[in-house]
Amino acid sequence: MGFFDFIRNFFKKNKKIGLGLYGSPNSGKTTLANKIAQDWMGKEIGSASNVPHETRKVLKEEKVIIKKNGKELDFDIIDTPGISTKIDYHNFLEYGLEEEKAKTRAKEATKGIIEAIKWLDDVTGVLLVIDSTTDPLTQTNITIVGNLEARKIPFLIVANKIDMEGSNTERIESVFPQHKIVPISALNGENTDELYEAMFKEFA
Amino acid sequence: MEGLKLDFISFEAIENATSMEKIYMIIERVKDGSVVVMEGGLSPAERTELIETTMREIDIEKFVGIDVHTLEKDAKALFGLKRKKQVVITIVGPANVMQTVKKQSNLLSVVAKLDNS
Repeated sequence: MGFFDFIRNFFKKNKKIGLGLYGSPNSGKTTLANKIAQDWMGKEIGSASNVPHETRKVLKEEKVIIKKNGKELDFDIIDTPGISTKIDYHNFLEYGLEEEKAKTRAKEATKGIIEAIKWLDDVTGVLLVIDSTTDPLTQTNITIVGNLEARKIPFLIVANKIDMEGSNTERIESVFPQHKIVPISALNGENTDELYEAMFKEFA
Repeated sequence: MEGLKLDFISFEAIENATSMEKIYMIIERVKDGSVVVMEGGLSPAERTELIETTMREIDIEKFVGIDVHTLEKDAKALFGLKRKKQVVITIVGPANVMQTVKKQSNLLSVVAKLDNS
């Protein structure tokens, strides 16, 4: 670690954690954000849907405190819109949206992706949420991991949807062998205790 | 039959270009319907810049975004240890043209959709 990295990390450690939830559309970021907020604050912070790009603006919940073994981890949740390289409104029609609504959703989604990318400058920790039923080798995941590594932002890879048929966490491990991967189901809460433990180790 | 245009960009053509010059070199061609095959890769910052620029350029009727694929090789670090992958070829095409992409370790197979096919 160079001198400037040391100084930067020193000051980052003394700041409150801005925990960004990043990933592709429909990977379960908002479901996870809701699970964390529900577990530790007793409320949800956003609406989740099976229609891609449901979250089109960054959702922020301040002062979430996780407690474990007498210790506290204090952070803000920054739930970001799913990052993608393409937005085709025709895809939304397949979910029953009317054409005008689908077009509006597409336009809003492009702005949401730009906002999510801009937030990379401000987050101090990241949960990269990957749908474990899909191929993890995507440009979105590679780009996010590359940026986090280059910016030296600590992060965990959350292999989500382990409750679903076709879930394959080994595939994620083989694509990102050098990073900590925590398999969970944000929907039913499976393994979230292990995630909270890993968050303490990575971000505290 | 409408043809598919492939633009090959050598490493020499981009090595002295700024990040934004590289991004626009790619995006302008892809917006015109070309598939760009570029020697080498983009830095993580350039990849986010490419996504951000793509989002700004999306026209929901005419240009729906890009598909990006890469072929890598193992880059050997100190003492010959395999440490990370190095991108040797980057392929960027219009999302509505890049129909099927199959990737194996050292083979990338792309099926492109032509206008009236």
